[in-house]
Amino acid sequence: MVMTIDWTIIPDYLPVFFKGLETTLLISAISILIGFVGGILIGMCRISRNPLVYGISSVYVEAFRGTPLLIQIFLVYLGLPQLGIYIESPLVAGLIALSLNSAAYQSEIFRGGVQSISVGQIEAARSLGMTYNQALFNVVIPQAIRNALPPYTNEFITMIKDSSLVMTIGVLELTLRGKLISATTGQSIPVLLFVAVLYFTLTFSTSRILRYVEKRFAIPGMIGSDQK
Amino acid sequence: MTEPIIEIIDLKKSFGDNHVLKGISMKVFPQEVVTIIGASGSGKSTLLRCLNHLNMPDGGKILFQGHDINDKDIDINAVRTQMNMVFQSFNLFMHLTAKRNIALALIKVKKMGKAEAEQRAMEALDKVGLSDKADAYPGELSGGQQQRVAIARAMAMDPKVILFDEPTSALDPELIGEVLDVMKKLATSGMTMVVVTHEMGFAREMADKVIFMDQGVIAEQGTPEDLFVNPQNPRTKVFLRRILKEVGAMDPGIPSDFVPNGNGVHDKP
Ligand SMILES: Nc1ncnc2c1ncn2[C@@H]1O[C@H](COP(=O)(O)OP(=O)(O)O)[C@@H](O)[C@H]1O
Ligand SMILES: [Mg+2]
Repeated sequence: MVMTIDWTIIPDYLPVFFKGLETTLLISAISILIGFVGGILIGMCRISRNPLVYGISSVYVEAFRGTPLLIQIFLVYLGLPQLGIYIESPLVAGLIALSLNSAAYQSEIFRGGVQSISVGQIEAARSLGMTYNQALFNVVIPQAIRNALPPYTNEFITMIKDSSLVMTIGVLELTLRGKLISATTGQSIPVLLFVAVLYFTLTFSTSRILRYVEKRFAIPGMIGSDQK
Repeated sequence: MTEPIIEIIDLKKSFGDNHVLKGISMKVFPQEVVTIIGASGSGKSTLLRCLNHLNMPDGGKILFQGHDINDKDIDINAVRTQMNMVFQSFNLFMHLTAKRNIALALIKVKKMGKAEAEQRAMEALDKVGLSDKADAYPGELSGGQQQRVAIARAMAMDPKVILFDEPTSALDPELIGEVLDVMKKLATSGMTMVVVTHEMGFAREMADKVIFMDQGVIAEQGTPEDLFVNPQNPRTKVFLRRILKEVGAMDPGIPSDFVPNGNGVHDKP
């Protein structure tokens, strides 16, 4: 049966959409943040000369990059209880899976940023008497993150979109809310298009904000900085 | 009798099968300017880098102010603070202004407050004639200016010795002079310097001692006059002849008496 498209259900359900949007924003922001910090730690392990540290971190990255995120979400929510680890809240389970996954990707982004920095700068820092950690935090990391902002932007946008996968374990985020509204009202086209617009608003703002950060922190005289 | 600042005893270093340093012994005394010359690949950089433990020696000893820097009780970072290095490729921190390049180690290593460190940085920049570039980033400076900032960065640490590894080799010819001038000023002020260089004019004018390295050993050493005018080792002569031919034409610091055994630059019209 064909139903006429009724856009008025959008304002009717606006508070419900916004609740979903809020959850999506929360999940993406937290997992991006945890993934960012975790990515730096794992990325540092990946450039370690200690074969054990390097080996374990490499297995981690390959495992999380090489398997579907959906399976990882199921493993955390459905698999862990079998080992006696119960995560009551699907939201928390989803957050864990997304963060672990994003950390793997972000570690590679960070590693790429580190490798864009000349060894000479680290040697200069060491030759002035700085410790390895001082060189890392004051010379390497600030430049590595700056150089890696474009791939970071990609990863953040991907995370916002992929956060919809946690609907499969019952997290009431934007996609699941949309699906429920569409089932209740039968107005799939307006509902799904509106959900898409809301996602786009998030991703587009993210890319604009990061572009601004990129410009704001560009290193004068380096490629990519605005020439006068 | 003054004690040497640096004493190197039978220093050895290999990379795999490549024996780069085959037993180097030398001393550097306070306020001395020691220049090291030698063909590319003879181990000059490796020698300097071993002094700073940027490369770990395989054998022999390095005494800094009488202490073996390989000793477990010695903090290598403390040694490095007193023995800074200036690199061929400047190696400034690209994300920091000239002033902050200098201030960073003062704050992190010498534990100075920000204001004091920046004031010290400004004084150092003034000494290399770059006060007006304090807020410029390395990418906005010429190679010569970058190297002067790097020298200021080392000077500001108030080290006992500064090691220079071919500080002008990456520079366009017209920028070499400004860096050499800064180094000459530094030498005149009494800084102890070990300088790997191909600038024979600088070596002749400033060096107390010239060391010629060849295939991982010190083939000859002496005063600039000993080495440049009366080299004893045939390999020194060959090297000097070649280097003077390459750079002699451009180097106004090399006078005509500066020709090993009278058959150097002038043997071809
Ligand atoms: N990190 C390294 N790994 C392997 N070989 C090296 C390394 N550094 C230097 N070498 C080798 O050591 C030799 C001496 O190099 P170097 O000390 O840089 O000479 P110089 O500075 O006199 O040109 C060269 O054969 C070079 O290839
Ligand atoms: Mg060299």
